[in-house]
Amino acid sequence: MEQSRMLSVGIDIGTSTTSVIFSHLFVENTAGYFSVPAVRIIDKKVFYRSPVYTTPLLDASLIDGKALAKIIESEYAGAGVAFSEVQTGAVIITGESARKENARMILEEMSGFAGDFVVSTAGPDLESVIAGQGSGAQRYSEENSAVVANLDIGGGTTNIVIFDSGEIVAKGCLDIGGRQVTLSDDGQVTYVSPSAEKIAAFFHIPIEVGAYASEEALDRLCDAMSAILEEIIGIGDRSALADAVRTKGSTDLALPAGRPVRHIFFSGGVAKCIYSPEHDRHAYGDIGVILAEAIRRSRFFTTYHVVQAEETIRATVIGAGTYTTSVSGSTITYREGLFPMKNVPVLALTEREESALWNGDAAFLEEKVRWFLKQNDSTQMVLAIKGRSDPDYTDLKRLAYDLATAMDRVLDPSVPLIVIVREDIAKALGQILRQILGGRRAVIAVDEIRVEQNNFVDFGNPIMNGLVIPVVVKTLIFG
Amino acid sequence: MLSSEEIARIADEITSLFEMRKTAPSNEPAQAAYHAAGRENQPAAKSEGGSILQQKEEEKKQLEQVAGSIPEADTEPDRRQPLLTDPADPDALRRMMSKTTARIGVSHAGPRLKTQTMLKLRMDHAAARDAVMMDVSEALIDRLGLLFTKTRCEDKNTYLTRPDLGRDFDDETRKLISESCKHDVDVQLIVSDGLSSSAIEANAERILPVITEGLKERGISVGTPIFVKYGRVAAQDRISELLNATIVCSLIGERPGLATAESMSAYISYKATVGMPEARRTVVSNIHKDGVPAVEAGAYIVDLLALILEKKASGVELQK
Amino acid sequence: MSYQTILAGQKYTFENVKEVLAKAGEHKSGDVLAGVAASSDMERVAAKEVLASMPLKDLYENPVAPYEEDEVTRMNIDGLNRTIYGQIQNMTVSDLREWLMDYATTNEDIYRISKGLTAEMVAAVCKLMTNLDLIYVSSKIRVTAHCNTTVGERGIMGTRLQPNHTTDNVEGITASLFEGLSYGCGDVLIGLNPVNDTVSSLAEVLKRFDEVKNSLEIPTQICVLGHITTQIEAVRQGAPCDMIFQSIAGSEKGNRAFGFGKETVEEALALLQVHGTAPGPNVLYFETGQGSELSSDAHWGADQVTMEARCYAFARPFHPFMVNTVVGFIGPEYLYDSKQVIRAGLEDHFMAKLSGIPMGCDCCYTNHMMADQNDIENLALLLGAAGVNYILGVPTSDDIMLNYQTNAYHDIGTIREILGLRPIPAFERWLEKMGIMENGRLTKYAGDPTIFLQKGR
Repeated sequence: MEQSRMLSVGIDIGTSTTSVIFSHLFVENTAGYFSVPAVRIIDKKVFYRSPVYTTPLLDASLIDGKALAKIIESEYAGAGVAFSEVQTGAVIITGESARKENARMILEEMSGFAGDFVVSTAGPDLESVIAGQGSGAQRYSEENSAVVANLDIGGGTTNIVIFDSGEIVAKGCLDIGGRQVTLSDDGQVTYVSPSAEKIAAFFHIPIEVGAYASEEALDRLCDAMSAILEEIIGIGDRSALADAVRTKGSTDLALPAGRPVRHIFFSGGVAKCIYSPEHDRHAYGDIGVILAEAIRRSRFFTTYHVVQAEETIRATVIGAGTYTTSVSGSTITYREGLFPMKNVPVLALTEREESALWNGDAAFLEEKVRWFLKQNDSTQMVLAIKGRSDPDYTDLKRLAYDLATAMDRVLDPSVPLIVIVREDIAKALGQILRQILGGRRAVIAVDEIRVEQNNFVDFGNPIMNGLVIPVVVKTLIFG
Repeated sequence: MLSSEEIARIADEITSLFEMRKTAPSNEPAQAAYHAAGRENQPAAKSEGGSILQQKEEEKKQLEQVAGSIPEADTEPDRRQPLLTDPADPDALRRMMSKTTARIGVSHAGPRLKTQTMLKLRMDHAAARDAVMMDVSEALIDRLGLLFTKTRCEDKNTYLTRPDLGRDFDDETRKLISESCKHDVDVQLIVSDGLSSSAIEANAERILPVITEGLKERGISVGTPIFVKYGRVAAQDRISELLNATIVCSLIGERPGLATAESMSAYISYKATVGMPEARRTVVSNIHKDGVPAVEAGAYIVDLLALILEKKASGVELQK
Repeated sequence: MSYQTILAGQKYTFENVKEVLAKAGEHKSGDVLAGVAASSDMERVAAKEVLASMPLKDLYENPVAPYEEDEVTRMNIDGLNRTIYGQIQNMTVSDLREWLMDYATTNEDIYRISKGLTAEMVAAVCKLMTNLDLIYVSSKIRVTAHCNTTVGERGIMGTRLQPNHTTDNVEGITASLFEGLSYGCGDVLIGLNPVNDTVSSLAEVLKRFDEVKNSLEIPTQICVLGHITTQIEAVRQGAPCDMIFQSIAGSEKGNRAFGFGKETVEEALALLQVHGTAPGPNVLYFETGQGSELSSDAHWGADQVTMEARCYAFARPFHPFMVNTVVGFIGPEYLYDSKQVIRAGLEDHFMAKLSGIPMGCDCCYTNHMMADQNDIENLALLLGAAGVNYILGVPTSDDIMLNYQTNAYHDIGTIREILGLRPIPAFERWLEKMGIMENGRLTKYAGDPTIFLQKGR
């Protein structure tokens, strides 16, 4: 059986910590000899974990790029991995770090630095999902057909994702974390974040920069934070505070109807202290330990089944290194020499638009594509459709014709026509598109990938004798 | 089918029988009517809380079901629901059922299968038998513009029991093929009923144009497509020899299983000759709506044909 | 040497023993396809008559494949007990039939004589027996074997649990496995037919079977039915394995077409004696089926019943734990309809038992054969009465991978109850411990595959 192995890196630049991991992704053609190939990632093995570093900052608003590069360089050396060997992976900038002025620049530099097809990604919702994958919550949900929430509580944010039977059913992010308030060695308050301020004000908790906060005040603040997290997951009614501390750029987490959350995973820096209590309340010069204590005595532990996460503080970096890359379907169309291709924005047709397209009404398409390119200030784009599972040839041909005509008019002549379709029909669609375009424009048609509006897609170099393309679907939302 | 008045009348009767039953639990007619309404699993006590009117409504509804007036038969019921009612772990049962298409969680009636399970098996077997025994419609063969031919088998039973006859043609048919078809082409396409005419009905119209047009785009010449009735795979070897085709590609119905009766395979051979080893064929199987969709398989086969033409080999020789 | 008889005024001549054997067989489409079948019912009966009066010596001296050219013939002849053969060589086939039927003839007597029988003699007597004859004699014979547990004892009817999956998905396989266990199946074997015949795929499934067997403490055997060479490699690489499997044929040429020979089986046996997970001594599993030799043109012009009998001659020296015919899998060109399949199932079971083989049966059919589930239920019940060691069980009868139907998990409990048969005792105790069986009958907890999951979730 054909098999190949991809070396993948994960780099997480978080609010307070930065870490690096290396893993192998094993890819195999799982179909028998008499079948159309079906290449899948069959196994993932993390073989190197860096220590957890403090994220280097130049000042309150700037990340120290040079120091960061040094960390990454030394970890590659420590793992015995050359930059050129790395085939895939992701650099993710998370929490408060994503709000630094130079976040975007740093991210792009680091991804270029880390390897040819190491992609950059950011955005609170995606972070939530990645953390839930890295912590083992998704797998647990899948294996037990259970509804599982993962709360990744870091320095700046708590990223929340809910899985049902392995499927993502809700995601969101709140500005609640261990470094929302920092303290000096003797207990003086050195920083109070805007969201901590809001919570303190709401409950009349006396916490002020420069003053000494009482242990009672800190407990009350952390209890309040824990209570907001409980509300979000479904204990009691949602208060206005939960909305007030929602992270900018994140989705309002909507609980799935019908099947309530029953199992909880905690990950992130604070999770370590939730699972194994830290006795020094002021251990990290912030409220992380106190928040962990608050959660330990909260209704999380009485109402839900709290599961020990496989990874806590490294959940995000492991998620970034092992879960961001997927492979396309194994019957696809592309022209060689176009890859890797990064940061291509996705225009996903709505169900109504797509059904119009299948019914031969493509009048809207040209205008929509023009608008989308302008919105994104981009020449390249991916058109994403759902497709049909067993289409008629004539229907498919008409759809291809309409699609090719509209896109051909709008796209720059040098740019390939890229279509991502969820159903397994990309090779057929691609072949027809190619026939219609007659070689004047490259066609990429890839299937069995889920993308949404506002996603970006990165395509790697084809692997497994060209059968599949590594694909990363991501967001790029900076705070 | 019962009229609605009739149903209302019977429902009335049952309701009054119910009342009687409370005082005389062994009342046999009541028992019988109760069973007729398909409610033997629900204790009678359950309906005591509701008003008589409600009971009447309920009974009426169920009688309507028994009488066949509802449900309307325009949507097919979901026959994949677990019949096992109180498993130790319902989530786990759901998960297990999602991991396999095997019929599990089916419960039992005594040691035997539940009626629904048994009937579903019979239904799937019937579809499979029909796929084997029925013929591909002439209309389809015409629409696809296929040259109609038949092997030396005279009927289905001969086809099923005499594989040797299903691999060859009589002199007249050989002559017809030779005279009606293009010779010396790169790819000769063949469509054959094999063991499932349903597979051809479901897939041929979707896959053929994808292959034909895909090959055209690549500048690969395609012959006159042929339909072979009562055809075994190796009938392609004879056609290959008659027409001196470089590659023959047969789309043929697979032996149907209970999961699907519409699965089709493509058998592709480079310079096929009569009596050559089976290992020289390249096979693409599992072409159907729940396997590889026909259009997609078609596009894949185009690439495969181009590769075989380039490598001048098929089957195990191509694998090397 | 030619044979002659006159029947209803017509003279019938047969060229040789092989022709007599072929024409004496019950009607099978595979023999017609091979061109060796009797051309009329009268000719068939004529051949039977000739066969009835034929001394066993003629059959010994005329194996259907020549000794010099065929390994199976050599194994058969060389492995024979000369003393016992010497005592029976002048018996006719009819004598043998009537002796087998005799009230006084016991299991031990038959076991003794089996050491002097060649495959051709076994096939010959089979051709003189009616279905009920076959069932009656079979029911006298017990052939036991031991791997982790003992198969084949009187009063016991076992099952091979076959949890096949379309993509070898281990979770899906486990789901079907648990369903089967919950119906009391799997005492003889938990055995998968893999889609992917690769070492890694086999090893993955074997590991799961081993985990399930050990964690639930199930007294049974495990096996993944890849090609013998793939299994050997998997065991070499450390995969847990109680038993190695191979499909076999009745001629060397047939076995070569399956990609192995006597030496491959010897290698497997030696390997398991050192690295197997079961104490044995019986650690091999073979499958057979009438017609497979013809399909690879390896039948030496003989009929399919005789070639089938030769499979058992091949299997015998390796002392397998289990053998079964996959009787209706091959298709209507070999066994046309339910009548032929039922006959073949009874013949194969009888011939194997008479050869000293611990025989089971996959009572099955494909969808292009003139048979349905009713027929296969009949066959299973007949074989239950005949004392078959085991039948197969799959979810509701539908094998989603092999695309054929065999017995449902539900069938085994039903047949056991009707015929008063039980699972292998150690397995029955396990079923009782799991709460699935009580006094030999399934309880209300049977049929729930989720009871085997670890508690506390």
